[in-house]
Amino acid sequence: MLVAAAVAIAFADSSIVVLALPQLYGQLHTSIQGVAWVVTAYNAAVAVTALALIVLVHRFHGGIVLAVGLVVFLAASIACALAGSLSFLVAVRAVQGVGAALLLAGSLPVLASLTGSAARGAAMWTIAGTFGAALGPALGGVLTQAFDWRAIFAFQAPVAALGLVGALRAHVDPVAEEGYTPRLSRSLPANVCLGLVFGALVGVLFLSVLMVITVWGHSPIGGAAIVSVLPAATLAVRPLESRLPRITAVQGGAALLVGGLLGLALLPSTNVVFVIWALALCGAGLGLTVPVLSNAALDLGAGLTRSGTLTIGVRHLGLVLALASIAPLLAHSLPSAGDRALLRATAVMLDAPVSLGKKIPIALDLRGAFHQARDGQRPDLSKPFESHGAATDPNVAAARDDVINAIESTITRAFRPAFVLCAAFAAVALGLAYFLRRRLLG
Amino acid sequence: MSAHRPAYVALAALLVAAAALLVVELGLGATHYGSSKLADPCRPRAFAGSGLDATVQRVVLDGIDGAACRLGTSREQFVLSLASGAGYPPRRWNRHTIEVALRAGMLAAVDDAAQRGEIPDFLATILRGAIRSAPLDQLIRGAVTLGNLFGG
Repeated sequence: MLVAAAVAIAFADSSIVVLALPQLYGQLHTSIQGVAWVVTAYNAAVAVTALALIVLVHRFHGGIVLAVGLVVFLAASIACALAGSLSFLVAVRAVQGVGAALLLAGSLPVLASLTGSAARGAAMWTIAGTFGAALGPALGGVLTQAFDWRAIFAFQAPVAALGLVGALRAHVDPVAEEGYTPRLSRSLPANVCLGLVFGALVGVLFLSVLMVITVWGHSPIGGAAIVSVLPAATLAVRPLESRLPRITAVQGGAALLVGGLLGLALLPSTNVVFVIWALALCGAGLGLTVPVLSNAALDLGAGLTRSGTLTIGVRHLGLVLALASIAPLLAHSLPSAGDRALLRATAVMLDAPVSLGKKIPIALDLRGAFHQARDGQRPDLSKPFESHGAATDPNVAAARDDVINAIESTITRAFRPAFVLCAAFAAVALGLAYFLRRRLLG
Repeated sequence: MSAHRPAYVALAALLVAAAALLVVELGLGATHYGSSKLADPCRPRAFAGSGLDATVQRVVLDGIDGAACRLGTSREQFVLSLASGAGYPPRRWNRHTIEVALRAGMLAAVDDAAQRGEIPDFLATILRGAIRSAPLDQLIRGAVTLGNLFGG
């Protein structure tokens, strides 16, 4: 269990800091693009390290790989919690990613040994990974709200330490050790599909979370409550996943991901019900696709550790590729959305049933509020409205609400192309699951 | 197949829920949500409200529309360019151009209001004189003050 918890945390770490990004942004005095590196550095380091390890990992004792990974992960987590600058935090996040890749690769033979069979070990690893990935944003949100962003990393250190205790106590059975076998390519379709699914999950784990807290203004705990539907739905479909034919589970899950992501792209308001509905579908899609694909990707015939290392690399590569595709899209659409939001806010203000003596000065003050807001931050509209009597004049208060609504809707719409791109990742995975149905699951 | 039947039914229900989400969202106007299309200032705008305050508002806002139309921009961009200092959008026109456009737009708006019988002829004459002679700052401040006078 201790080792499985460490596996879950390493997977959760891909998205655990997303709800803390606004706090990081404020405290480390950087841009949204700057703090995005805190997420990207970790995932890129996991992907690169895991893919590099494929040719080497089977030569080492699984317990040693796990222990080294846990030590590196533990030390880097403590360093992250103590980071005083963005560049240092990004650097230690990359080190944490290296530790996570070793931890995830080494945990497979150890779990196989602890559970008594490679299949049971792989199943436990898959469940821990799936649930950990879904739980990441909610867990990070709760810790950020209750304490501080540093608490996210401080929390991981004891989990890694306990995992280390579990790893040192485990005696990896030679049955879990493996020699070189050249059949790794057999799991390639499942791995490609898994990479695409993880690419699609960027929309769920990053974009939706960012939208809910930075654009809609929810607190980290509020955001965590909203995104907690994701792990809940992932858990809820567990019985369904085991009762469906495997290929049907993958195809159905990918279709649900497409539907959920399109649902996020087509939001008709800032009502959280639609986000919860869409995230529940995505959580169900995640719960149906990832365990089946992971089991297929963990090709026992090709060696548990090597195939596990390949699948760790490919799924994080999917995350990184999706992040890399979406970042320029958002960098292009968000600033222009800010300009459009100001124009819409001005239009709303000029049409509001407010006296001329207030509407034009407020419209001009809005410009100042937008100018003062830092890149990626919500403008603080309280001052322009409060100084013109929002507290006592219901018409001014109503105009303020309409202006906020106009701004939120314009910026929410700016996320649409990015959500559609994520849905396209899921749609390609669905197409692959349909056309390669005979080869996908081995 | 029969052993899988309840699972198939559950999966079908989830897929129906996904389709229902998209149908509901589209039904609630998702395609237009957040659209930032602004009204054409060269076309007449529907105006709600009645009374003197509404009339003054209409004259001023029609005047701004007219000025924006002359400069080939939106009403909103024109209003934002009235303020000096840093911020969006950067001023695309010099002070004189803005002044000329605003003066012409306001004069046309007063003529239209007089033609509709919304303001008496004597007030239209006074307003035309003020619009022709007042500097830009006073023109804007004057409109706002006039609005305050009638609208509170």
